[in-house]
Amino acid sequence: MGDTHGKAPDSQWAVETHGLMKSFGSNVAVNNVELLVPKGCAFGYLGPNGAGKTTLIRMLLGLTSADKGSMSILGYPVPKQRDKALARVGAIVDEPRFHGHLTGRENLEILATAREREARSRIGESLDRVGLTSRGNDRVSKYSMGMRQRLGVAACLIGDPQLLILDEPMNGLDPAGMQDMREMILSLVAEGRTVMLSSHLLDEIERTCDAVAIVDRGTVIRQGSISELLEGASLSFQVECSEPERAKTILQGREFGAVVEIIPDGLGVNLPTGTHKDVIAAIVRCLVNEDISIYGVQRIQASLEEWFLKVTSRLGESR
Amino acid sequence: MVPQSYEQIRGIAMTKAGGTTLVEKQREISMAARDHRGYFVPTFGMIAARFKELRKRRGLMITLILVTIGLPSIFLGVKLILHVVSPGSYGPAGGYTVYVAMTSGVLYIFGFIVSATLGCTAGSIDISEGMFRHLVVTGRSRVALYLARIPAGLAIIVPLVAIGFAIVCLVCVFSAPTSLQFGGVTVPQGLSASSFESWAANNAQEVVCQFPLNFGPNGALKPSSLVASVVANEPCSGEPSPPSGPGGVKIGRIGPGPQFQPSQSQLVEAARFIAKSDYSRYASHFRVPSNTLMIDTGLWIELEVIVGFVVGLGLGSLIGQRTISVILMIVLQIVLTPILSTADIPHFINLQRGVVGLATAHLTPGGLPVLAGGGGGGGNPGLVPESTFAAACVIVAWLVGWTIIGAWRMKTRDA
Repeated sequence: MGDTHGKAPDSQWAVETHGLMKSFGSNVAVNNVELLVPKGCAFGYLGPNGAGKTTLIRMLLGLTSADKGSMSILGYPVPKQRDKALARVGAIVDEPRFHGHLTGRENLEILATAREREARSRIGESLDRVGLTSRGNDRVSKYSMGMRQRLGVAACLIGDPQLLILDEPMNGLDPAGMQDMREMILSLVAEGRTVMLSSHLLDEIERTCDAVAIVDRGTVIRQGSISELLEGASLSFQVECSEPERAKTILQGREFGAVVEIIPDGLGVNLPTGTHKDVIAAIVRCLVNEDISIYGVQRIQASLEEWFLKVTSRLGESR
Repeated sequence: MVPQSYEQIRGIAMTKAGGTTLVEKQREISMAARDHRGYFVPTFGMIAARFKELRKRRGLMITLILVTIGLPSIFLGVKLILHVVSPGSYGPAGGYTVYVAMTSGVLYIFGFIVSATLGCTAGSIDISEGMFRHLVVTGRSRVALYLARIPAGLAIIVPLVAIGFAIVCLVCVFSAPTSLQFGGVTVPQGLSASSFESWAANNAQEVVCQFPLNFGPNGALKPSSLVASVVANEPCSGEPSPPSGPGGVKIGRIGPGPQFQPSQSQLVEAARFIAKSDYSRYASHFRVPSNTLMIDTGLWIELEVIVGFVVGLGLGSLIGQRTISVILMIVLQIVLTPILSTADIPHFINLQRGVVGLATAHLTPGGLPVLAGGGGGGGNPGLVPESTFAAACVIVAWLVGWTIIGAWRMKTRDA
């Protein structure tokens, strides 16, 4: 595997992969992934279950090897300089599990000894940050799922990471726990850290992340900022008008390519992906010319979920 | 922090690249220079943390303490109490015989099994409890993570076995019999060869009737016809003959009904001869184990424990499951080793010599019977023959080989 880019540690990307591939027998889990995660943002790695999200993260962290391609973390090629790369990385992969017979603090002490000397002094601060100070001396076997997730984040923080890679961090959390986790992620980003968040929860990604890569069947099919991605979504708007039935007939007779449906007080119009917004003006003009009274036009912003369902292969399944 | 070219979106505060101060950069460079996490040698902190993790496994520690300290303590304690309550019925708790039973019988066998259990636990538990992944993500060398377990585990099991062994030694020395029963006859302790013969002359009839007859082709001495006649005809009040030595005797006692009545001087001469031929066996039955024997035995048991731990650690790491590893180690020690150490399998003699249990058996301290019986020191007649050097090489090969296998598996395993 060609693993070196010859990049200096000053790389502008927290994570960079080129042509990354991993197969399990005939099943291609990660297929030619080109990923660029900018530093200092919350980056969502979004995909349905089985899309290859965790496999990619495991390869980045050196938990499993890649079949082909190259990758770097914080500018260090992996796995060649894995130790240097991971020195400033904290990660939770799958469900965070610890030694149940030890306390949360003792588990962190074990992990701190494997890190740099200063890591030990950050244990108290990390427990405090995730709200586990009062339970730090309890055995982990007595922790709830949410507490173990928070302990996992604390384990990340003892390394004072520049990059946090969190695999499905909301799994098993109740709404309050999800809210806490979301706030914690945003606060980490606010401190200048990069958080790469993998999830199949579209809503969470949309609420938490600045940029996103959408993966399906091992392939990254889109990546960019959420607003950029949504701009590529289909154009929808509602027209509040008189005579909706006639308005619908008029629009269907023209070559706008619009899908029109009657809604209370007007029409719902859906234009194909890539349609320019001038078409909206043309439609309004057309209706006015046909003596249809227009009382209002409202653009509908597509949610990431709707967009996601359209671009991934699960679209058919969801219908 | 984001690249200069990166456009902020959704109102989340981000610092543009280039904001890193010189002081911060210098701090990072300094930390990186001091960070040797890719190096394969574990730090003291890693070893101490691993020691603590193992020590806090309550069930495992109770088992280790019970077997290494509890078992000898309970056994010897019961013997001590019984002897105090009824000294006529129950002999002293200590002595050479008890020492042999407790060391080569209990600590040697069970010490290996519990140290292997600890090794298998240390080798597999991070994987099964999901902690291995956290450790790998720190960027620390996987080999260092593996090697940290060896001193940590040995720091637990070696002192435990040493304590158990010390208890055995203390009881065997300070609660030893005050006299020695040799061939059913109470004999004074620590006699020289000539004193032993003199004592035999004074107790001629008991010696002739009771002492083992160490004659014959493999015996120490060849008896004269007079001695043979005395032994064959001396009336011994009907007890059965004591067992003869290896090689057997052509003469034997026939009990009452003498055909030849030996004189007192002939009886004394025969007793002296029997004592002379039995002296080496008498000398090996001193009431307490010697200091040299105790030191040798202690080192030998600790060697066995170290082998058990290191092999168990490697096997645990290789398989990744504690239960299966422990079962395999018990099968090796209890089933395979005794069979391969004594069986005569054509064409496989060198393979048999590669069994670590056979090698450690060949290093048994002299005067301490083990496995198939007989003395140790490389001359155990029941075992497949092997030189001491070869035995040492086999042990080193097992220690190094399993360490390499375990470290390799840890390095290549998907976490």
